[in-house]
Amino acid sequence: MGTSVGKILKYAYCLAFIVLAWFFLYVRNADTMFFLQDRGWWNSTSLFWNDCMTVPGGLLAWTGAYLTQFFYYPALGSSLLIGLWILTFWLAKWSFRIVDEWSFLLFVPMAALLCSDIQLGYWVYILKDVDYVFYHPLGLFAALLLSVPFWTYLPVGEKIQQRIALAWIPIVAALFYYPLGVYALLAAVIVAVQTLSNSPVKGRNSGQKASLLRGGLVGSVLLLTLWLVPLLETAGTTLMRPDQPWMYGFRRFELDALHDISLEIPFYLVLIVPVIFPLLGRLKAQRLLLSQSIMVITAVAMYYCLSARDFTDYNFHAEMRMQRGVEECRWNDVLREAAKVKGPVTREMVMLRDIALINRGELCSKRYAYNNESVQPTTVSDSIHLRICDQAADLIYFNFGETVFAIRRAIERCMHYGYSYYTMRMLTQCALVNGEMDNARKYLRILGRTTFQKKWAEKIQCFVDDERLMAESELFRMPLKLYNEGSELVGTDDKYVELTILKKWMYTITNDSEAQEVALGCAMMMRDQKCFWSQVQQYYNINQGKPFPTHVQEAMLFFVYELKFPGVNLSYVKFDDRVVERYKAFFNRLNQYSGKGMNEKQIGSALRPEFGDTYMWDYCVLREVQTN
Amino acid sequence: MNVIKTTPPKGGWGVFFLLILLAACSGHPSLPSSYTQMNTEPSIWPDYVGVTIPPNIAPLNFLVDSVDDVVAEISMVNGQWSMTYGGKGGRVQIDESEWHEMLASARGKSLSVTVYTKKDGKWRAYKPFNINIAAEEIDPFVSYRVLPPTFVGFDELSIRQRNLTNYDETIIYNNNQITEGIEGQCINCHSYQNYSTDNMMFHMRLQHPGTMIVSDGELIFVNLKTDEMISPAAYNSWHPSLPIIAFSTDHTMQSFHTREITKVEVMESASDLIIYDVKNNRVQTVLSDSAEFELFPSWSPDGKWLYYCSAHYEYRDKYEDTEELLAKYKTLQYNLYRISFDSGTMTFGEPELIYDAVGKNRSAVQPRVSRDGRYVVFAEGPWGLFHIWHISADIQILDLQTGELLDASAINSSLPESYPSFSSNERWILFESRRDDGNYTRTYFAYFDREGRLHKPFQVPAEDPEFFRLYLRSWSRPELMKEPVHITPRQFYEKALTEPVKVAGVSLSE
Repeated sequence: MGTSVGKILKYAYCLAFIVLAWFFLYVRNADTMFFLQDRGWWNSTSLFWNDCMTVPGGLLAWTGAYLTQFFYYPALGSSLLIGLWILTFWLAKWSFRIVDEWSFLLFVPMAALLCSDIQLGYWVYILKDVDYVFYHPLGLFAALLLSVPFWTYLPVGEKIQQRIALAWIPIVAALFYYPLGVYALLAAVIVAVQTLSNSPVKGRNSGQKASLLRGGLVGSVLLLTLWLVPLLETAGTTLMRPDQPWMYGFRRFELDALHDISLEIPFYLVLIVPVIFPLLGRLKAQRLLLSQSIMVITAVAMYYCLSARDFTDYNFHAEMRMQRGVEECRWNDVLREAAKVKGPVTREMVMLRDIALINRGELCSKRYAYNNESVQPTTVSDSIHLRICDQAADLIYFNFGETVFAIRRAIERCMHYGYSYYTMRMLTQCALVNGEMDNARKYLRILGRTTFQKKWAEKIQCFVDDERLMAESELFRMPLKLYNEGSELVGTDDKYVELTILKKWMYTITNDSEAQEVALGCAMMMRDQKCFWSQVQQYYNINQGKPFPTHVQEAMLFFVYELKFPGVNLSYVKFDDRVVERYKAFFNRLNQYSGKGMNEKQIGSALRPEFGDTYMWDYCVLREVQTN
Repeated sequence: MNVIKTTPPKGGWGVFFLLILLAACSGHPSLPSSYTQMNTEPSIWPDYVGVTIPPNIAPLNFLVDSVDDVVAEISMVNGQWSMTYGGKGGRVQIDESEWHEMLASARGKSLSVTVYTKKDGKWRAYKPFNINIAAEEIDPFVSYRVLPPTFVGFDELSIRQRNLTNYDETIIYNNNQITEGIEGQCINCHSYQNYSTDNMMFHMRLQHPGTMIVSDGELIFVNLKTDEMISPAAYNSWHPSLPIIAFSTDHTMQSFHTREITKVEVMESASDLIIYDVKNNRVQTVLSDSAEFELFPSWSPDGKWLYYCSAHYEYRDKYEDTEELLAKYKTLQYNLYRISFDSGTMTFGEPELIYDAVGKNRSAVQPRVSRDGRYVVFAEGPWGLFHIWHISADIQILDLQTGELLDASAINSSLPESYPSFSSNERWILFESRRDDGNYTRTYFAYFDREGRLHKPFQVPAEDPEFFRLYLRSWSRPELMKEPVHITPRQFYEKALTEPVKVAGVSLSE
C-alpha cells in the first residue's frame, strides 16, 4: 500500500464526512438547527456562568451553549460544528496513531453525534439542554484531548512513563469531572485502554503473568476512579439525585413514564466507540482491499442510519418555519408555507396560518381556501405526544392578544425546560403589550448580554422608550389591538390553546372592525350559529355598506337555507353572485353524489377539488372542530 | 485608597487605624480632582438613598447606570473619616470587613455617601445621601423559596438560607435532589419556632408528599392529612413555647386572568384551622365553620392568642361550588381575627374580630404579631389572599392599643407587597415585594422604630448589585432566623424517601 494513496484517502474521508454532515445538518435540517439554537440560552452574565458551573459538565454546558448560538445562522453553526468534528478526527488520528487507510472509522462517533441532532423530531420542544448541539461534540473532543498519551513524549524511561499513565487515570477524572462531567470519565477510560494497549506484549518485560498483573492494576485503578470520583465530587451537592453523578451529562430521553432508548443510542456510541480507538492503532495499512471494503461498508451504513433516523416529517419542519415566520411577521411566507402542504396539517399550523390571515385581514375571506384537515403531530417512535401548549402556545396566545396566558405558558416552559431566547423574546413582547415596562426592561437587559439577540433587544428598546410606537408596529399592532378589545375573563385553558382562544373570541363583542373579524371568524370555526349571527349583526353595525367577506356569505346561506336557522332575514344582505352560484352548485353536486349511494367520505373527496375552499365543504366534510 | 479626613472616629483609635490599614491594603479608587457638582442625589440601584439599615447587615453594594466609571465616598456624617469604593461596570462594591467596621463605628448614627460618576471623560459629583444605621440588629439569617415566577410547575424549586451579615447562601432543601419527570415536587410553607431552627418545618407536595418537621433537632416526616381534614395541613405557625403547630387546611384553586396584569387569582374554596401536637402526633380541630374560610394562623409571641384571617362565604346550594366562587372571586375578602388559647386545657375561646378589612372593601391576610403583642403586621389587598399578585396590595400595621392603622406609606409601593413579619426584636419588618419589575418577588427590610414609625425599606444586599436585576427567579415567603438550619439537604432527602408517619389521633373541637 503506497503512502500517497493513504494521504489521499484521509483527505477523501474528511471530504466525504464534510459533505455528509453538511447535507444532513444544513441542507436537510437548517430549520431544526435554527430552532435548537433559538430554544437555547447563553448570556455573558456571571449568573449564567455560575448556574452552569454548579453541576458536573458545567464548562461543556457553558461553552456548548455559547457555540450553539451560532446556529442563528445555520450555515455558520454547521461550519463550526463540522469544523470541530474534523478537528476531533485529526486529534484522534494523531493521538492514537491510526493509519490513513483505517481512519474513516474515527468518524463513527461524530456520525452518531450528527444523528443525535437530526433525529429528535418533536423532542426539540422538550429538550432541557440549552447547549444540546455542541455539548457532546465538545465533550468528545475534550475527552480525546485529555487522553493524548503525553507521557510517551516525556524524556523519561518507559517504566516512569507507564507510572505517569497510570496516575493520569484518576487525575484526569478528578481534575476534569466538574468541568466535563461524564466526558472526564470517558477520558479516564480511554487512558486506561491506551495504557493497556501500549504495554509491551513482547520483550524483556513480557510474560502472561506480568500482563495480567498490569491489566489488573490498571483495571482496579480505573474502576476505583469511576466509582469514587463522581461520588466524592458530588457528595455535597443538592442539584442532582444521588443516582445521577456517574452519568451526569449523558443525555437521557425520559419524560415521566416515557423512555426512548433509540434516541440515546448515539450517545452510547459516543461513549463506547472512542474507547476502542487506541486499539485501532494496531491496524496496519497492508491490506488495502480489506480496509477499503470495511470503510465503504462503514460509510454506507453511516449514510443509511442517518437517512433512516433523519426526522423528515413535513409538518414538523413546516411548523418550525411557520413559527419563525409568525415571529418575524412574514405573513406571506407563512401563508405560502400553509399553501404548500399536501396532506393534513397540525392544529398548530392551522393556528399559525390563521394568525397570518388575521394580520392580513383575510380570516373570513380566505381561511377555507387553505387545508383545515388535521392530524396529530407525527412523533419519533410514538415516544411523545405533544400538544400546542407544549410547542408554541405562547406565540399563538400572544398573537391573539392573550398575553397573560402567553406568559403563563412561557414561564411554565422555562420551569420545565429552561429559559431560551425564544421565551425571553416572548416574555418581553407580552410585558410590552401589558404595559409592564420595568419587566420588559429587565428582559431586554438580559437579551442585551447575548450574542445574536442583542440586535433584537436594541430594536425593541424603542417601544419601551415610547410605547405609542407599538400601535404602528407590525409585531405589536394586532396583538395590542386584540389585547385591548378582548374581554377580561378569569379561568384556565386546561392545556387546550385553540379552544380557549376560539371560545373567548366567539363571544367577544367589539367595535373594532379588525378585532371583530377575528370574533366572527372564531364563531364560524366553532360552528356556533347563535354566536355567528350575533357577530354578523355586529359586523353589519360597524361596517355599514361594506360587503360581508366571502366565507361569511357562504356561512349565512348555509345556516339559513340548509340548517334552517330561524328568524334571520337575509334580504338586506347583498350576496356576491359567484358565492350564491357556488353554494347552489355545492348542494346540487352533493345531492347528486348522495343519490349515487356514495358514503360521506367519498362525497367529501369528490367535492373537494371544486368546493374544498368553501365554508360549506369544511362544515360538512371535516365535521367537528379538532383541537389540540 | 483614600482616607480624606483624618479626625479619628469616636469609636476609638483602634477602628480608625484599622480602617487606614485596611484601606492601605486594598485598592481603593481616588476621588476625581475636578468634577461638576450636581444638585441632585444620584440614581443608584438598588435604591439605598436614605434607608435605615441594621448594624449587622452585609455591604450595600450598588451600581449607577450608563456611566463609564463610578467612585463612592462613604464617610461619617460628622466627617471624622471617609473611604472610597468603586468597581467594574458602574458598580460600587464595598469591602466586607471595612463595611462592618464602618457600621460598628456608626451604629445609631448615619453614613454619608457621595457618588462621583464619569461619563465621556467628565466627572460629576452628586449631592451626598445618608444611610442611617439603627442601633438594633436584625436576625442574621433569612430563608426563602427560590423559584421562577411560575404558576403550576415545580421542576425547579428550593428553600435556601442567606446569611444577612455577608452574602453566603446555602440550600436547605432542593427538589432537584429527588424529582423525576416534569411534575416535580412542590416544597412550601417553611417556618420556625421563635426564629430558631431546632424546631422547624416545611411541606412537600406531589412527589414524596408529607411534612418535614424538625422537633428539638430530630427530623420526622409526617402525613398531616386525616379523613376529618379537608386537605393536608398547609399554612402554619409554631407555638412560641409549646411543641404545637397551628395549620390551616384548605382547598386551593388557581385561575388566570385574560387581561389583568395581576395574572393569577388564587382562591380557597374551603378552609379550616387545626393544631398539630408534634410530640403526641395528634391533630385537633380549632375552627371548621363551613361559611368561614379561616386561613394563615399566627401565634402571638406570648402564645395566648391565635391570630388568623377569615372570609365569610355561603354557597348558594350549600355545596362547595367552585364555579360559583370563581364568578364571585372579588367578594372573597378576609378580616383579621384572633382567638384565645389556654395551653393548660388546650382549648380555644371565641373568635374576636380585630380588623374589619371587609368594611373598607379590602382583604387582610397573613397577620404576624410583634414581640410586645401590640402591633399586628399584615398584607392588605383588594380581595383574596395571594396579595403578591395584586397590584394594590400593601403592608399594613395595626396598633392593637388604639385599633388604628399606622402610616405604612414609607414601606409600600405602587406594586405588590406581601408576606410581612417582624424580626425577633420587632425593630425590623421583613416583607416581599414586586416593586423592582412587577413580576419577580424580592425581599425587603424596613426599620420599625420604637415610636412606631416605619422607615424607607431596602432590598436584601447582593454582592453583585446587578444580581436581582438579572435574576430570573423569585425569592418568596422570606422568614427571619437567628441561626442557620442544621439539618443537611441530604438528611431531608433521605427522610423524604421514607414513608411519612400517619397522624396518631384526632380530637374534634368542642
